[in-house]
Amino acid sequence: MQVYKACYKIIYKNKGQLLMYIGIFLLFAIFLSGIGSSQVSGFSETKCKIAVFNEDDGSAPADGLTEYLGGKAVIVEMEDDEEKLRDALFYRDIEYMLRIPAGFSDGLIAGKDVRIEKTTVPDSTSAVYLDMLVNKYINTYMLYAKNTGLEGDEIVRRIGEDLENETVVEMGDYGRKITTAENSAFYFNYLSYSMLSILILGLGAVILVFNKTDLKRRNLCSPVRLRSMNMQLISGCLSFAVLAWILLIVTSFILYSDFMLTVNGALMLLNSFVFTMAALSLSFLLANVMKSQNAVAAAANVFSLGTCFISGVFVPQELLVDDVLKIASFTPTYWYVRNNSLIAGLVNRSYENLLPIFMNMLIVLGFAAATLIIALVVIKQRRVSA
Amino acid sequence: MFSHIYKYRLKCILRDRQIIFWTMAFPLILATLFHMTIANITSSETFSEVKIAFSEEGGSQEYRLLKETLEQMSAGEGRNGGKKLLDVTYTSRGEADSLLKDGKIKGYICYDGEIKLVVKDRGLEQTVLKGILDDFRQSISSVTAILEENPAAANGSLFDDIAKRADYLIESAAGKAAPNTSVHYFYTLIAMMCFYGGFHGLKEVMSVQANQSSAGARVNMAPTRKMKVFLVSILAAVTVQLIETALLLLYLAFVLRVDFGNRIAYVLITCVAGSFTGVSFGACIAATMKTGEGPKIAVVISVSMIMSFFSGMMYHGIKTIVRSKAPVLSYLNPLNLIADSFYSLYYYQTYTRYFTNLALLCGFFALFSMFTYLAVRRRKYASL
Repeated sequence: MQVYKACYKIIYKNKGQLLMYIGIFLLFAIFLSGIGSSQVSGFSETKCKIAVFNEDDGSAPADGLTEYLGGKAVIVEMEDDEEKLRDALFYRDIEYMLRIPAGFSDGLIAGKDVRIEKTTVPDSTSAVYLDMLVNKYINTYMLYAKNTGLEGDEIVRRIGEDLENETVVEMGDYGRKITTAENSAFYFNYLSYSMLSILILGLGAVILVFNKTDLKRRNLCSPVRLRSMNMQLISGCLSFAVLAWILLIVTSFILYSDFMLTVNGALMLLNSFVFTMAALSLSFLLANVMKSQNAVAAAANVFSLGTCFISGVFVPQELLVDDVLKIASFTPTYWYVRNNSLIAGLVNRSYENLLPIFMNMLIVLGFAAATLIIALVVIKQRRVSA
Repeated sequence: MFSHIYKYRLKCILRDRQIIFWTMAFPLILATLFHMTIANITSSETFSEVKIAFSEEGGSQEYRLLKETLEQMSAGEGRNGGKKLLDVTYTSRGEADSLLKDGKIKGYICYDGEIKLVVKDRGLEQTVLKGILDDFRQSISSVTAILEENPAAANGSLFDDIAKRADYLIESAAGKAAPNTSVHYFYTLIAMMCFYGGFHGLKEVMSVQANQSSAGARVNMAPTRKMKVFLVSILAAVTVQLIETALLLLYLAFVLRVDFGNRIAYVLITCVAGSFTGVSFGACIAATMKTGEGPKIAVVISVSMIMSFFSGMMYHGIKTIVRSKAPVLSYLNPLNLIADSFYSLYYYQTYTRYFTNLALLCGFFALFSMFTYLAVRRRKYASL
């Protein structure tokens, strides 16, 4: 058991770094869990965040329009401060801004070319949508004003009646997503980042020590059999990985307790465990290739950040370019992340829905086996050359 | 003497592969990753025609009218400033359903006793679809109401008015450039890199402090004034940092095509100020903390990471949250000041915000330098 204990002594000496990654992860996790909002089932319109400054207060079309938009979008109360509004638009706190100029409705009736000032994210879908809503409302208002004898508030009331004619929207039942599941998918996606960092750093520390030439020679002279030594080393690494896994998943039971105790939650756990194995053998390979602690730290960052970025951990996979995803599919993280979203969206646990999930897990295990084999070849080579 | 120290310090820095990795290669790798992932975020907002299907089964007169309207819309005679909104496939209901299932279309329209829209997810595009259909139904309702009120309108311009929609909006640009959120990430990245320059400052202080390295002990024995050695060392560190920042800037501007606006001189000034502040930050940590190298490096990394986080490097929303909930914090975060300087050069016509940032940044530089100076000067050792 000496070797096994030595592993943990080395890991304990590096606890600062490792705890930092756990800390970062927990911060992320708690932060993310706060974001999620509950969604009702069935279709609901997506509401853009807009700001409306009605300088033509008290006139029927301007007030009517503002009220109409209030139902179709979220009107963010904002101070009429140019700098704040610009910032808000840049960082998407609002996506659209309207300024109805004073005298707008009088000009409208008088047939002048009066315009509502809009500030948008150019060419965006939200701009197209809101342009459509605004123009439609004002055009309808003008339609009534021109073709009937009605005026002001009466027209607004009539338009209100017209607006009650809404289209029926049916949500096809092709796998409806549940929010806690989605949030926990985020949680597990982020887990891959911390897991990779922790395992590369931890294993790197341990294996570098055992690979030191002098130390290795001394160990080989010891009465402990090589086989037993290797077994202890391997079980040390394995148990460290399991320990890291337990540490990282524990919080999920607190944050998403209702989801984690379902079958989908169990699948999520299984998936993350499979990924842990892939991360473990990748770390094992890297640790055997790297020559110094500094190189290990660099590799830990490059590998964890790199794979996570291109595999859609930080940015959803749907937003990534296809070419990037193709490259990403050569990393286990990609399949792990895909699986997380599959599991999160899983409603009907039929054979055909479960099959791709297990296939992805098999792919991740395949990565684990492949990298392990490469690592063993590297070790063998080194032993021959040494 | 100056050139001698300067030259050897440069050699020392450039041969430290670890430092060069963190201060140069790492930001370049991150920039590439950002480019691969973030560039698409803004384009995902960009409107493109919504793909839908139209089931040709069944229907009323109203449904056929809808079909005509859609055909007009997808022929490009849309009511929305000539912009084509829809890409419609006319097919059977079953086919439409399988197209939707496969994600080929966003939704389909069918007739089920009334006009119905079937979608798979919630989203803005689906909402646009509903908006178009609502518009159609509501227009019919309006026309009916108008004809009830004034039957004579049918002979007037009513139908012309419906067909011709006027545009009542006028665009007023928000800033001098498009509100493209993705540039924000590259700006914070440069800011982070400036603070990774702290590694250089840290290294230089440790190599002149007698109690922190054997090289430092030897330097203290030399007949050169220590402050001179120190300042020249820091100058060498700043030189390397400036070159590295320039390389990143070139990479961002010419390879990744990140938009920095057109005030290049001010962008460069920001980089210089940021580099100085970053190096002085590391020097300050190294000079004031009485521990070994490891914890100092940890502090440099974690403090710059925390500052990056609060300036929104991981998620841009953080920046606005900080600005609205605790505005003071955004001024107390030098990393955010650097990023915000780039932002205000890119987005703002005026310079007020830029110079506020720059002035505060220089304040931080002065503060870090002062602490470093106070900690480094007049150290005497009983034995070395």
